Amino acid sequence: MIRITILTLAIVSIVSAHAQERGNVLIKNGNVLTITKGTLPETDVLIRDGKIAQVGKNITVATDVRVIDASGLFVMPGIIDAHSHSGIDAINEATNPVTAEVFVGDALNPFQIELYRALAGGVTTIHTMHGSANAIGGQCETIKLRYGVKDPELLRMKDAPRTIKFALGENPTRVHGSGGIVPKTRMGVEFVIRQAFSKAQEYMMEWDEYNKAKTQKGFRGTPPVYNLRLETIADILRGEVIIHCHSYRADELQMMLKVCKDFSIDKIVFQHVNEGFKVAPELAAQGAMASVFSDWWAYKLEVYYSTAYNAAILTKNGVLTSINSDDEELMRHLYHEAAKTQKYGDLTDDEALSLITINPAKQLGIDKRVGSIEPGKDGDIAIFQNHPLSIYTVPMMTIVDGVIRFDAKTDPDDMRLVVDPKQDIEASAYTEHKHDRCMENAILSAEHFFDLNVGE
Amino acid sequence: MQFYSRNLLVVFLLCFCFFASVAQNKQEERELPPVSSTYAITNAIIIQSPGKNIGRGNVVLKDGLIVAVGKNAVAPADAILINGDSLYVYAGFIDGLTRNGVSKPKEETSKERPKDPGNPLPEQAGITPQQDVRSTINPEEKSINEFRALGFTAAQVVPYGGFLPGTASIILFNDESATDMVLAEQSSFFSELVPAQRVYPNTVIAVIAKWRELYAQALQAKNYEKVYASNRSGLTRPADNQILEAFYPVIARSIPVLFEADKYLETQRVISLQNELGFSLVLGDIKEGWNAIPSIRSAGAKVFLSLDLPEDKKFEPKPEKEKEKKKTSDEDAKKDPEKEALEKRKEEAIQTYTAQAATFSKAGIPFGFSTLSVKATDVQKNLRRMIAAGLTEDQALAALTTMPAAILGLSDRLGTIETGKIANLVLSDKPYFSEKAKVKYVFVDGVMFKYEPKDDPKKETSTSVDISGTWTITTENPDGKFEDQVTFSKDGNSFSGSITGARFSEAVNLENIELIDKQLKFSYTTQAEGQSMKVDVDVTVEGDTLKGTASSAGKTFTITGKKNPKK
Amino acid sequence: MKLNSLSFIVLFVACGSFVSMAQNPKARSGAFALTNANIETVTKGIISNGTVVIRDGKIADVGVDVTIPSDAEVIDCRGKWIYPGMIDAGTHLGLVEFGMVSQATDVSEVGDVVPQVKAMTAVNPNSAAIPITRVSGVTTTLVLPEGELFCGTAALMNLHGYTPDQMFAGFEGVVLNFPRTGKRGSWDRRTDEEIKKASEKITNRLNDVWEKAVQYHKLDSATNGNMSYYPEMQALLPVVRGEQPLIVIVNREKDIRTALRWIKDKKVKNVIFSGMAEGWRVADEIAKANIPVIAGPVLTLPTRDYDRYDKGYANVGLMKKAGIKVAIKTDDDNLNYRNLPYHAGFAVAYGMSREDALKAITIVPAEIFGVADKLGSIEVGKNATVFVCDGDPFETKTNIEHVFIDGWQIPMESRQTALYEEFLKRSPGLKK
Repeated sequence: MIRITILTLAIVSIVSAHAQERGNVLIKNGNVLTITKGTLPETDVLIRDGKIAQVGKNITVATDVRVIDASGLFVMPGIIDAHSHSGIDAINEATNPVTAEVFVGDALNPFQIELYRALAGGVTTIHTMHGSANAIGGQCETIKLRYGVKDPELLRMKDAPRTIKFALGENPTRVHGSGGIVPKTRMGVEFVIRQAFSKAQEYMMEWDEYNKAKTQKGFRGTPPVYNLRLETIADILRGEVIIHCHSYRADELQMMLKVCKDFSIDKIVFQHVNEGFKVAPELAAQGAMASVFSDWWAYKLEVYYSTAYNAAILTKNGVLTSINSDDEELMRHLYHEAAKTQKYGDLTDDEALSLITINPAKQLGIDKRVGSIEPGKDGDIAIFQNHPLSIYTVPMMTIVDGVIRFDAKTDPDDMRLVVDPKQDIEASAYTEHKHDRCMENAILSAEHFFDLNVGE
Repeated sequence: MQFYSRNLLVVFLLCFCFFASVAQNKQEERELPPVSSTYAITNAIIIQSPGKNIGRGNVVLKDGLIVAVGKNAVAPADAILINGDSLYVYAGFIDGLTRNGVSKPKEETSKERPKDPGNPLPEQAGITPQQDVRSTINPEEKSINEFRALGFTAAQVVPYGGFLPGTASIILFNDESATDMVLAEQSSFFSELVPAQRVYPNTVIAVIAKWRELYAQALQAKNYEKVYASNRSGLTRPADNQILEAFYPVIARSIPVLFEADKYLETQRVISLQNELGFSLVLGDIKEGWNAIPSIRSAGAKVFLSLDLPEDKKFEPKPEKEKEKKKTSDEDAKKDPEKEALEKRKEEAIQTYTAQAATFSKAGIPFGFSTLSVKATDVQKNLRRMIAAGLTEDQALAALTTMPAAILGLSDRLGTIETGKIANLVLSDKPYFSEKAKVKYVFVDGVMFKYEPKDDPKKETSTSVDISGTWTITTENPDGKFEDQVTFSKDGNSFSGSITGARFSEAVNLENIELIDKQLKFSYTTQAEGQSMKVDVDVTVEGDTLKGTASSAGKTFTITGKKNPKK
Repeated sequence: MKLNSLSFIVLFVACGSFVSMAQNPKARSGAFALTNANIETVTKGIISNGTVVIRDGKIADVGVDVTIPSDAEVIDCRGKWIYPGMIDAGTHLGLVEFGMVSQATDVSEVGDVVPQVKAMTAVNPNSAAIPITRVSGVTTTLVLPEGELFCGTAALMNLHGYTPDQMFAGFEGVVLNFPRTGKRGSWDRRTDEEIKKASEKITNRLNDVWEKAVQYHKLDSATNGNMSYYPEMQALLPVVRGEQPLIVIVNREKDIRTALRWIKDKKVKNVIFSGMAEGWRVADEIAKANIPVIAGPVLTLPTRDYDRYDKGYANVGLMKKAGIKVAIKTDDDNLNYRNLPYHAGFAVAYGMSREDALKAITIVPAEIFGVADKLGSIEVGKNATVFVCDGDPFETKTNIEHVFIDGWQIPMESRQTALYEEFLKRSPGLKK
């Protein structure tokens, strides 16, 4: 009986710690990797009410602020993953080549254990995305890993710009083309995107005309029919939604650059972009950004001609680049993925760490809030045992909005927030890790639709 | 159970139609109507409303209404008297969300792939909000009687379909024609976050997007119709769109959206949608709502909690054998602290589910119950579990009577035993929530349904087939057919036995004989080419024959058997 | 039509790789002296400021006071480190050129019992992944076929050579995918009943095959090897006789326990466990059974949602701690076998000693595969399969500067480095 009480108390205390949304923490005496303002040895970082209040030496605080001794430890801004599919219950609406109206933020799931595991890898913000089954997929959501909250609304990073997933190449052509629906080729992908943009332009014009006419006296007229899909694509054309475009090959990258130019779209982030290095000058010239794997290749034909030097070539050619995971396992060691750019291309520590902090923040349009340790920014911090670019480092503590969400020393093993009351403890034990979340749902649906053999 | 009907004509016609063809052969038994439509329940303990036990008294019903209640209520001369000396009378229960009494359409499982999965017809996409559940109400549905036998007299029923199946109605379980069952039509606009199969919307995110779009289009169409109605000159005639029109009362907030949202995240998603669009919301069949209480409160949503609960082994009867097994596995668990901790978390989870109703009560959120996903046989047990977890009996009764009546806007007609209300009553032999309470009578709309105690079902299941005696068993394997003789004899509760035959030098004793219902398993070991081989037999016994398999060393053979006639 | 265009692409790709290989510089052999280096011998400690002499494919001399042969090409390794080539104990290198396209993958043969198909014969010496892997210091890999039950015979291959024979590193073993029980994940839609039936069926199948193999062995012995052609059983013969290890792939706790019982029941003499995602849960029993383990990948998620987040990383170290002989494999889906040292590094970060982690990718797999006389450490007489690096090879930023395989100096180029050279400063740039 006593035992039960103690355990219950432990669980309650975790929950109540998390219930506090904006925390106050003083991190003392760490090696502070600010990313944007250099590395500050033996420096304190004070977080007040969830925001970084002060960075400096010998900061003192009242006793109510929790003090973390970071002597000998490394303090860096929380890691940002610009490509993830964690924290959502639906990834691909793979039934139509254009599904701009769907929004993965409608299916947030704060209970996924992978969110906690990402925290245990120093990650604090993720861009959780629609999959890559469609040329124009759904809208994505930027969330903070406030693991412990139960209300899905609390995961959202409020005020983060809207983003949408596009996809070029094999995935959309495989899912739709094999069912006899355009696109079946990269040519078709271009057509689908241009067609959607053109229709959205028409739609915008019809509304503009209607709205303009409406202001005139004695107006009699019929409004165009509301269409959420075209409305969303129109928002892209209005510059209100950032495109994150799943892409691999040089030719399709150039195609998409041209499409953007033709439709006056300024901001585009290419995702994966394994052959980005081949068209780095073109990407840089148009201000397009790239979010890449450190070294993934060969998992299909369109990534066969990849190189692990991609991030370095892009960076050195002036393309704003980040390293992402697209995978709940890889997500846990993005610091290590960033370090690979030092082997493959000799990036400096700051350049390498920028790939997983300030650069993805810029790509998501949230760099005013996160991505570096600067006063005024969100209190999102990852504390490492060794330098985060060392293979031997271990994330020790991860803080989101000043709230400690991961603590290697005190967290219990079982960090599930919910337990299935029907779970058969024996039978449900083991899970094999599946890659290629980008095609989750799509693989199932594609099999359903087209009796396709699209195994990994 | 006896069955009476007020509506003679319907019964007569039905009987006539049905029996016309066979009438030549046999004179069928016909239901006779009761001699009066007035009833008086005398000297029963009357729980007039939750918390209001008015003690012993009479309840008088006439023509479907309650006409008098209390100690001094006088039974009229034409009343059929029901002696309530040992009975407890409650207002009839109301089910907030169910498909009891609704026919399930035949499912078309076409394997053909959709030609254009991205642009399906509305009905393929699950978009049929213009449907009305009344067209699929069927008085013959067995579920009506199953739940009426528990005391349910009225229910909000919803149609089958996709994410927008149509409008709900409130019906009475009075066993009349479909039209006469309906108490209130279009009581709500029903929806579930269920994706369509193989076509758009194939995910919950597309369902929500489509919801949003349809709502916005309906809003637009409704406004336009208004403009058009006021002055048609110079305007295109609005298209006739039944789907969008179905949203109009939702937009006007004249009917609520009833959302099935059993999972916590669904509850939250629905509330987010409600926050965005502003319709009035009723959440149905909630199973994991405790964490959503703040959102439910701020959304002003009304709530029906599910009567379904996750199984709790503590409340399940255990056969003797399992108890023994359980013991050993408990010992294993003790050795494994990880498993112990997992079991404990699971138990805590079950407890949280069970305490959901109590949690809502404590938070001051009014709620009714719904039976959309509960088995009838679990209802009373689950109510008792909820009460054991902190819900008071009065709160439980309120959630079955006054609360749903209020949520459905029927407090003037349902929910309590008061003069003028519809004659829906439940009569039980013990206080309803006590362990062995049995419903004796249910009145719906003044129609009486009487329930006789059933035989103890345990007796039925425990009568396994008798296998004692000698059987001739034929085994077919690649080497040929073999006939053996197997003899079973009963030792108390278990069996012993042996096998003999040409392949055996002496009788071999059977091991692990296990007989559950008709399923018989046993094994034996033989010697073949100097090696011992274990044979496992698994057969089904049908009277004096048996059939099944024998397996050994990874091979499985068919066996059949016949019981030898007794000598 | 679809097929045709696909095969055309494959053909095109294949041609492409031939062309690029033809342009590659060749490996060189001869005598080399790697001087002034820190030598991590693995088996005999670290030698500071020492020399490794390579001649005729072998390590001719190691030490501080080493006479440098006059004909040897001297490579000054001042401030550098020399390590034995790393061994990845589980890959599909050479069998898979790239994923998703069946014509580009040769891992899985038709049939659930095909021990006679050999990875050795299908490893493509011209695979683009081979140079990509070896320039990172991974010189030798166990190439595994995939499939059901007895899916083929794995082969240990050195990452240099123009034919599979030239690459062969002296070990082959039949692979058994031990029957899996239970759900494979939340995406596994089978009912419990279906899962149970499937696993019973495959277990019966395994027992049946094994029984036949034992019978075949007995009859083969009785007939002095004059049994008629039966390729499956012939492939299993050395396994039954214990002359060749059986590589048993098994991951789940329950299945590992079942496998341990099965091995005991069937008296299987020579077994290597591979996979072992939940090995830490059964570590004591495995240690007691004295079965060596190839575990990996290390960079992996815990197998259960209630496991501590680092259980995947810690698994190898926990098994080692329990006394198991454990090697590491990457088993990487993206052909990133070059990341082997990082798998070892993560094992170190999460509890294994660095020394043990290093052994787990050098001498331990060499011992498990019975080639410790040739590979796995820097000792005189062993094959000259070593690499030179500018720091701790586990550290991500460390550069591998020279690689020798069987005494051949490997060109430090791969398609990935070639693309770097070509595209870092592309010409023409933006304007042609």
